[in-house]
Amino acid sequence: MTDTAQAQPEDRALVRIRGLTTVLNGKVVFDKLDLDISRGKVTAIMGPSGTGKTTLLKHITGQMRANSGEVWVDGLNVGKLSRQALFDLRERIGYLFQNSALLTDFDVFENVAFPLRQHTRLPEVLIRNIVLTKLQAVGLRGAASLTPAELSGGMARRVALARAIVFDPMLILYDEPFVGLDPIALNQVLKLIRTLNETLGITSVLVAHELEAIKQVADHVYLIANGKVVGQGDPKSIEHDGSPWTRQFFGGEADGPVPFQYPAGDYAEALGFRQGAV
Amino acid sequence: MSAQMRRGENVVIGSLAQIGRCGLFLLRILAAIPRSLRHTRETVRQLWFVGAMSLTIIMTCGLFVGMVLSLQLYHVLSIFGGTSATGSVVALSVYRELGPVVTALLFAGRAGTSITAEIGLMRATDQIAAMEMMAVDPIAYVAVPRFLSGLIAMPLLCCVFCGLSIFGGHLVAVDWLGVDNGTFWSNMTSTVKVWDDVVNGVIWKSLAFGGVVSLIAVFQGYTTAPTSEGVAYATTRTVVASSIAILALDFVLTAFLM
Repeated sequence: MTDTAQAQPEDRALVRIRGLTTVLNGKVVFDKLDLDISRGKVTAIMGPSGTGKTTLLKHITGQMRANSGEVWVDGLNVGKLSRQALFDLRERIGYLFQNSALLTDFDVFENVAFPLRQHTRLPEVLIRNIVLTKLQAVGLRGAASLTPAELSGGMARRVALARAIVFDPMLILYDEPFVGLDPIALNQVLKLIRTLNETLGITSVLVAHELEAIKQVADHVYLIANGKVVGQGDPKSIEHDGSPWTRQFFGGEADGPVPFQYPAGDYAEALGFRQGAV
Repeated sequence: MSAQMRRGENVVIGSLAQIGRCGLFLLRILAAIPRSLRHTRETVRQLWFVGAMSLTIIMTCGLFVGMVLSLQLYHVLSIFGGTSATGSVVALSVYRELGPVVTALLFAGRAGTSITAEIGLMRATDQIAAMEMMAVDPIAYVAVPRFLSGLIAMPLLCCVFCGLSIFGGHLVAVDWLGVDNGTFWSNMTSTVKVWDDVVNGVIWKSLAFGGVVSLIAVFQGYTTAPTSEGVAYATTRTVVASSIAILALDFVLTAFLM
């Protein structure tokens, strides 16, 4: 670990992002983005598709390096960490992938047990108890022997959630956790996120589009568009803050600061009509 | 410079760059071997998949290669009245060339492609990224066990192939074409040298081929584009690159070992 990766004094923000600039394939994803994630809170990241919400999570976990700027997690500069130090940090972070990313070689039980087997030498009986406790929390204790191929999308997401919380991490990053969940499972997952946050003090970051669900669970919302934070605040009031960004996003309007159409040439010309003939 | 020449130059530079990347990947694998020792169970599991599961095709092909070799050689040798040398020539051909080369080509087709497709799909479905996020080194957990299992399985499979080839050759020459059983075995044992033919031919060559095929298969899977098309291309590249590498390496090894 280099000097600049040394821990900074404890502050209220578990994740601190300063001046983050990322350019992917010539497209500016983040343009000097500043953002704080408070300790022990549930923070939601919202924004139009393709705005870089998942990329932001990858920066927080060090899966992706920025062109410039800094990402600090629990006082550690993620971009400056050695591989081993980064792995040590990741042991304290849970990550729920958009597509669950369950290991297809293993059944549900072994998927949840995988991090425990890799990083601890706990006796089998203890591993079994921990795994069953986590599976019970997501309502899938009875599915322990199923393979990932036998699970529905929503069930796979809940198994992935059980795996993400198996170490009771300090920070959990949820990438689209509500997609594919039926109302019962959605309600249980919302309760679980809230319970983990309140009982264990786990900090949560949610990337999601479902405002009603966000209202129930999040303490703070960031709205990201065009590489910057364009709105933030209480999830219950953010949609009424008067900003054209929030009005367009939460109102689902095609016209506004975020173009609905991907940049393209003249439509009439593309259809083969001469200019002025249409 | 014509556009065609520029394209040719780009292909050569691209191929050299790919070989360079593969070399660097090998260094990462070698560096991760100590860390992968704690994943012995995974290595054994892979050894089962790439080794034991390849046995059927290796045994069947070995038997038929020996049979057809014996049949061809018998007819050629009968022109010169030398059919008693059938056993010796079958054994030398199998130990020195056909055994390691054909086993490696079959191994690339059977095990190499499955390794590439499996790792490619793991990448496409974020399983590799999930391991990284769980602080598990995917090189140590995914790449090294598959590389080592290929390295271990190839010499063993080659021995089985050679044994079945000799058996097939014996079936055709002795039981079918009437070569004397004693002559078949005595000529073979007097001609075949353990160090020159068996160790150099079977062991060293198949170890080298096993390493090359496993490396190419793991590298192609690990670096594939995370799409279904990317996995398909990577699987094809594994077979093509492995086949070329096996035959080219065979020439180099034969020149050095003879």
